[in-house]
Amino acid sequence: MGAFTYYISTLVVYFGIDLLSAWSLNLQYGYAGVINFSFIIFQAIGAYIASTVVLGPDTGINAYQTYLFGANLPWPVPLILAALAGAALSAVIGVFALRRIRRDYQAAVMLIVSLIALQVVSADVHLFNGSNGLTGIPKPLEGALNVSLASYQWIYAAFVLAICAVVYVIVQKLCRSSWGRSLRAIRDQEDAAISIGLNPTLLRLEVFILGGAIAGLSGGLLVEFIGAWSPGAWGYAETFVIFTAVLVGGVGNNRGVILGIFLVPILFLELPRFLPAFGYPGLIDAIEWMVIGALWMLGLLVRPRGLIPERRFVAVRGGSGAIAFDGAAPGFFGRLLMVGRGDGVPMRRRAATVAQPAPPADKATAGSASERTELS
Amino acid sequence: MHLFVQSLGFGVVTASIIAIGAMGFTLQFGLTNVLNLSFGSLMTVGGFVAYLAESAGINVWIGLVLGGLAGAASTLIIGKTIFKVYARRGTRLFEMVMVTLALALIIEYAVDAISRDQIYQLTFPQGTTFNVGAISITAAQLAIVIIGIGIFIALEVMLKMTRLGKALRAMAVDPSLARSCGIPTDRIINTTWLVSGFLCGVAGVVFVINALSVDSYTGTLFLPSVLAAAILGGVGSPGGALVASLVLGVVTELVAAAGGSAYSTVAAFGVLVVVLLSRPSGVLTAASRKVELTV
Repeated sequence: MGAFTYYISTLVVYFGIDLLSAWSLNLQYGYAGVINFSFIIFQAIGAYIASTVVLGPDTGINAYQTYLFGANLPWPVPLILAALAGAALSAVIGVFALRRIRRDYQAAVMLIVSLIALQVVSADVHLFNGSNGLTGIPKPLEGALNVSLASYQWIYAAFVLAICAVVYVIVQKLCRSSWGRSLRAIRDQEDAAISIGLNPTLLRLEVFILGGAIAGLSGGLLVEFIGAWSPGAWGYAETFVIFTAVLVGGVGNNRGVILGIFLVPILFLELPRFLPAFGYPGLIDAIEWMVIGALWMLGLLVRPRGLIPERRFVAVRGGSGAIAFDGAAPGFFGRLLMVGRGDGVPMRRRAATVAQPAPPADKATAGSASERTELS
Repeated sequence: MHLFVQSLGFGVVTASIIAIGAMGFTLQFGLTNVLNLSFGSLMTVGGFVAYLAESAGINVWIGLVLGGLAGAASTLIIGKTIFKVYARRGTRLFEMVMVTLALALIIEYAVDAISRDQIYQLTFPQGTTFNVGAISITAAQLAIVIIGIGIFIALEVMLKMTRLGKALRAMAVDPSLARSCGIPTDRIINTTWLVSGFLCGVAGVVFVINALSVDSYTGTLFLPSVLAAAILGGVGSPGGALVASLVLGVVTELVAAAGGSAYSTVAAFGVLVVVLLSRPSGVLTAASRKVELTV
């Protein structure tokens, strides 16, 4: 098998897994405004659970690794358990981190969780074999399929992309549902959302758990592919690769983040592999991380909503009251029609559904440039 | 029993290190409303300055001041350039926290690149060991505790008894009103960056004096404790930060002494979780209050 096809098929798998991660984060940050700085630990727990339930019971014979929840479960079960583990951990963390506190506090608490989780799992060998991590995780159905390594790679890549397609459809449906509108309402106008009977804490918890499930699933898919998992794979900074991709691609736009994932983790982080090595080992990594940070800051400065920003939701008259349409849904002519009609909607109805563009923040208003919840 | 009393002594030392950082953090956060997650990385910078000073044969106390000055200078520069640019562009509070974290990432890996990804050992003399009952504490550790208490007293005096402190407190409550009262807000903000940055650098140095090693991840590892203490103690309150640090420091060391050294930070974090869940007014009412960036 050519090394190149092997490399490309590996990249396709990574692309799919990163996409799942990005949609999970986008659901939380883009739609609900939850700044999940601990994202990577949900992927990590999914990976750990998916590994231990196929590694067999920890009888102590395998002296080189110790772990919890050892079992021998048939193939699709580990992935389901991984998603459930991600959801369960999200529920636990969400219960205290998503209280009605300032969003920057929430973010700080999540970062603390991420740092501490890394410390604990590295230090305690009884959980998931400490800093050495788990190895020897069998590839699912490798024996049953009985194909060459190259074919297996491509089959797995197709499987990951198929899961991506399913998750995409679910996420898009949810984002366009009334639940998705509630999420955007609590993101943009929390006080107004409360006044019409929405519960921001509960909605945030729901989206947090859903995102956690997707993250867990992505972790399970990743570990079944690479066959090993250790704390080195989920440092707190890993979250920011995905975050940067979402910020670059398009906050609140599930198609935009596809571009972001292609640009940041795939193109940007893979290209340096072709550079001649220079400096001491680790220098290129360090530079990559610095550039990720710089990209992130630049994104926030220049295009806080990403290259392909969230589509404006325009209220149209007719049907059953004010219905929010995704600007992309009706096609080009439909959109022309809708913009025209949207302009005719009375202001008091539009105010609830139309996302208004942020006015230019000049020096005069910079003083109150804080939680301007009325702006999107 | 002996072990627990001894760990109480360690707890006080750990608490002093956390407290120095947390007091700087809470002062900065209380005035500017920037939840500065790059605080940890700047602590690392302070620690490395102390290491460089030591290897150049400079006295450890001068190294402490140098580390503090490095923290002060870098915080002022970051505050006056990066944070100011973002605030001017209308960056919201929760976006600012992302900016500070990106900055933390950049600083951490810049230090990593410069330090060649190595761990550096230090050889500060720890001095004679004092025994007070079951507690034995080295001269260096005692000095850290004294520095912590000294900084607390100095901050309290500055905040409560000087005109600068009065202006600072006024600005923390209402920046635009303070400005219209003729308070030179720019100068006050600069002073805050300098003082909080100095404390940040000093915290990094005392951490290194106690731990005797430094690498690019040192400050980031210590950031959870500082953040937890600052959030627990209430925004802008050095006294609160001190008490919270004491609780966190003692809990950390007690759990470590009980055999769960892997879980010592978790226990400290548990304290924060309990406080978050039991809704103290200090932490949670902030959601409804209008707060703005003042940089």
